[in-house]
Amino acid sequence: MFKKFSSEEVSAQNQVKASVQRKIRQSIAEEYPGLEPVLDDLLPKKAPLIVAKCQNHLNLVLVNNVPLFFNIRDGPYMPTLRLLHQYPNIMKKLQVDRGAIKFVLSGANIMCPGLTSPGGALDDEVEAETPVAIMAEGKQHALAIGFTKMSAKDIRNINKGIGVDNMHYLNDGLWKHHLNF
Amino acid sequence: MPPAGPKDPPSLSENHGIIPVTVLYCPVCSLPAEYCEFGPDFEKCKPWLINNAPQLYPDLLKDANEKEAEKVSEKLQSAGISSAGADGAVSSAQSGETSSKQEEVKRLPGGKIKKKDKHEVVIEKVVRNRRKCITVVKGLELFGVKLSDASKKLGKKFATGASVVKGPTEKEQIDVQGDVAYDIVDFITETWPDVPEAAIFFIEDGKKVPAA
Repeated sequence: MFKKFSSEEVSAQNQVKASVQRKIRQSIAEEYPGLEPVLDDLLPKKAPLIVAKCQNHLNLVLVNNVPLFFNIRDGPYMPTLRLLHQYPNIMKKLQVDRGAIKFVLSGANIMCPGLTSPGGALDDEVEAETPVAIMAEGKQHALAIGFTKMSAKDIRNINKGIGVDNMHYLNDGLWKHHLNF
Repeated sequence: MPPAGPKDPPSLSENHGIIPVTVLYCPVCSLPAEYCEFGPDFEKCKPWLINNAPQLYPDLLKDANEKEAEKVSEKLQSAGISSAGADGAVSSAQSGETSSKQEEVKRLPGGKIKKKDKHEVVIEKVVRNRRKCITVVKGLELFGVKLSDASKKLGKKFATGASVVKGPTEKEQIDVQGDVAYDIVDFITETWPDVPEAAIFFIEDGKKVPAA
């Protein structure tokens, strides 16, 4: 989704009012309870929270010119990969096998067989339409951030088609331009 | 959540137990070190990986050692084979070594080596009127900084005039009105992280290392 991304894609950057800031904070706290203790450090109440609006109804939440979260069309907020690397345990993890890594790294969505094959791992509790971290077989750090299209049980049973949408992956536009705001 | 009492060790009470993980990112491909093999140019990452993250790619260490052993045996052979014309062989082996080093040094068309690539930023204070002075910044272009951009930012930051001026042929410099020499150092390193603090020099009858 961030395949092509640069500062030209950003249509507007606004500092948000305190009420909006509180809402964003609340929805992030709900979505990622694991982040609560450090939420005050990441999204301080007093610090100016900037939302950058980009093409395709994409909003980026910036603190100190560093993007921390993004969301599409008022969907759930998802952390950027850099943030996820720092706090790996805030999201549920799904693992893909080794052969899928290079496809995911060029932006491909994650197909069910990649998750159900021997190299992959599925967390059975994961429902559809949730943000998840995509890990790679044999690697310690997250490879991408995805949005599940099917629940883990469906993925296992049906085993065909797109399982998880690839929202943000290593070395995509957002990863490369994370300082250019 | 249990309240942080006075007996808690400082680290726990600060973050309530969650500490961010520091990730080793490869400077070449900007990916976490273990993903370098999927990066755009694994060959370039290899030398850095061998030094900083050998445990991730143990095969690399073996390969590097093997290559070195091959090179050394080649040199020995070439020196041994033409031992009759020993001088010629030794010099060719030596030139072989130095030419591999020279690959890294830039070569101007014509064969001369471009020596004067001092990656330095020089900051100088010039007195204009008795109490007014100008801070001159030279050498930012060597770090890939666009001078017109830089002068605008400098002017905005210090709320003074800043302009790009042509020094004695070729070298352009930025003039910032007022005495901002010390503040400039911080600003440069913050806005352009490519510029290391050690590369900035003040001129005080000779050169001085910065960061005060």
